[in-house]
Amino acid sequence: MRVMKCVTAAVVAFALLFTFIPGESSAATPYQGYIWSSKGRDVASINGYVYKQSIDGFEMPSGAFSAPEDVFVAEDNSVYIVDTGNSRVVQLDSSLKYVRTIGDSEGDGVLSEPKGVYVTPDGTIYVADTKNARIALFDKNGKYMKQFGKPESPLIGDTFSYSPSKLLVDKRGYMFVVSDGNTQGLLQIDQKGAFKGFYGANHIGFSWGRLLRNMFATDAQKSQMATIKPLEFSNAVLDNEGFIFTTTLGTETSQIKRLSPVGVDTIGGNRQFGDRWSNGPFMVSSFVDVSVDSNGIFTALDLQTSKVFQYDKLGNMLFAFGGLGDQNGLFVTPSALAQSTDGTLYVADKGRNRIDLFRTTPFARLVQKASALYVDGRYDEAESLWNEVLRENANYELAYLAIGKALYKAERYKEAMSYFKLANSRGDYSVAFKEYRKEYMRDHFFSICLILVGAVILLRYLIPWVWRLVARRIRTKRPNRGVQQGGGIPQ
Amino acid sequence: MIQTFQLMKQVLTHPFNFYNDIQEPKKIRWIDAIIVIVLAFLAKMISIVVTGYAFQTREAYEVSYMQELVWLVVPWLTWSIANWGVSAILDGEGKFKEVFVGSAFALVPYVIMIVPVTLLTNLLALDENSIYSFLVNVAIYWSAWLLLIKVKVLHDFEPWKVIWITILSIIGIAIIWFIGILLFGLMNQLINFLTELWQELNFRR
Repeated sequence: MRVMKCVTAAVVAFALLFTFIPGESSAATPYQGYIWSSKGRDVASINGYVYKQSIDGFEMPSGAFSAPEDVFVAEDNSVYIVDTGNSRVVQLDSSLKYVRTIGDSEGDGVLSEPKGVYVTPDGTIYVADTKNARIALFDKNGKYMKQFGKPESPLIGDTFSYSPSKLLVDKRGYMFVVSDGNTQGLLQIDQKGAFKGFYGANHIGFSWGRLLRNMFATDAQKSQMATIKPLEFSNAVLDNEGFIFTTTLGTETSQIKRLSPVGVDTIGGNRQFGDRWSNGPFMVSSFVDVSVDSNGIFTALDLQTSKVFQYDKLGNMLFAFGGLGDQNGLFVTPSALAQSTDGTLYVADKGRNRIDLFRTTPFARLVQKASALYVDGRYDEAESLWNEVLRENANYELAYLAIGKALYKAERYKEAMSYFKLANSRGDYSVAFKEYRKEYMRDHFFSICLILVGAVILLRYLIPWVWRLVARRIRTKRPNRGVQQGGGIPQ
Repeated sequence: MIQTFQLMKQVLTHPFNFYNDIQEPKKIRWIDAIIVIVLAFLAKMISIVVTGYAFQTREAYEVSYMQELVWLVVPWLTWSIANWGVSAILDGEGKFKEVFVGSAFALVPYVIMIVPVTLLTNLLALDENSIYSFLVNVAIYWSAWLLLIKVKVLHDFEPWKVIWITILSIIGIAIIWFIGILLFGLMNQLINFLTELWQELNFRR
């Protein structure tokens, strides 16, 4: 019996031993990377971003976050979290340590459900204090400085409901403010708080249906119809070249725009960002935030699919990740997106009251490096990087296109043609083919001339001769039928 | 076979004579029309295969032989029926056999031209597209022209009546297609109903 007990104890002890060995943690992501091919199909790809950690404020002096609506990463990588539910902005340093809470408990510095924040390089903090309908300014020590209320201008009108939700400040100190529900564009407000006009409004496209309705509808019917307004912006972000990225709700194409200083979209081409069809034919992606890195690679957050999409400067898709769900790496209700200089992406999840951090994979770093060179037109330098991309993922269409362009630039047209073929790029293929044709003609001029002369002789003399020969043979073979038909056909 | 080729040559060189001649008895056979249509189908399929990469609008898997055949045969057949029917009512002289064969021979320019023209796409770049589309249009307009001559000569119509009859024939085609699709739907329902009835009865046996 004793022996039995000993053995049991030993077995139990042995078994317990295993429980202290940490279980092998799985590195699997809850999503599969993919890209949209030019043929409109989703092609599996290597993940560019994987979940790293979350910040929820529990272990910080600030306490837990509540429904964060925005996250901003300043140039020194310090993080500003707009904690909308708690009506404050929480500042963290670059190592994600708590620094301070912005928003006073009394006085003019009290915030009321702010939805956006922007920090200028000198550390001034601009808060879009939504419920108070103002922009509140705090200095770099978090001390309340001043405020800008609803701008006054005949352009805006009295009925305008001012509800600033997102903002950015350009180099001149002009504020560009997104006001919820406003379809006239971004509000430009100068350093003194004076209204300087609307910027970059969306246009109403032409529609046959509307033309027809307006032609036949009576005035009474027209007054019953809903007025058509341009689509509203959901967000605006400044890139380091002074261009303003905007996201637009309720449209299938050009949801993300890169507006030049005069308000013209420079991505162009009516591109369809986000997923295609997977939302269903009548659902469109609704991008709520965008983030741009120093190479112009922009990352956008789609609320519809809860996915994050990354594009290069020209709008070519690089990566997609995230999705709707409860696992780490998926989102409940994502609301904002930002990135630090090392490429880490911060995604604010309003539904789960936390900020999720995603780190780049080596594949993403490779693609981004190659893409930056490619976009700059340094095709030859990018070529070896793209080859490396293809070694890791042979289905990466953009790589074929980029290598094709490098080969084209190196005047290796035939090889370029085969790469353009793989990239499904008929236009580029045709351009390379034209060069190849020129080259081929030059090299084989004599033989081509010879073939042409031969063809002329063949068509003019040889084939008619054979034809006559055959016709004569048939006529002599079947004289009766030949005679019968001969009359009908005038020769 | 040789006879068919001779007729094809004639329709290209002397279309008016051709459509006059085929009204003579025993001049044409039903098989002539079938041969031309088969050739047209072959020419179409070959042209799809030999199209240069830059000019391809469809991937290989997106091309269906059956569908191409249907899109060739059905318009031709319905045109023959509609045109014959309309002209028969409005004092046309053409017999159905003549319309049937004559319509098929109107496709000869397309048969002759489309393969060499498509071969050109292997030598052309996309910005020289206009040459290619011009030649294809020549083939198509030539065929359409033959079709009009056919209506004129076979039924012995005035020019204005030719246009009127052509419009009516196109309307006729639309009606035939509409009824065809309708019948197809109804038959589908009927067959479904009968099979389900049969299944139901079997369950209760």
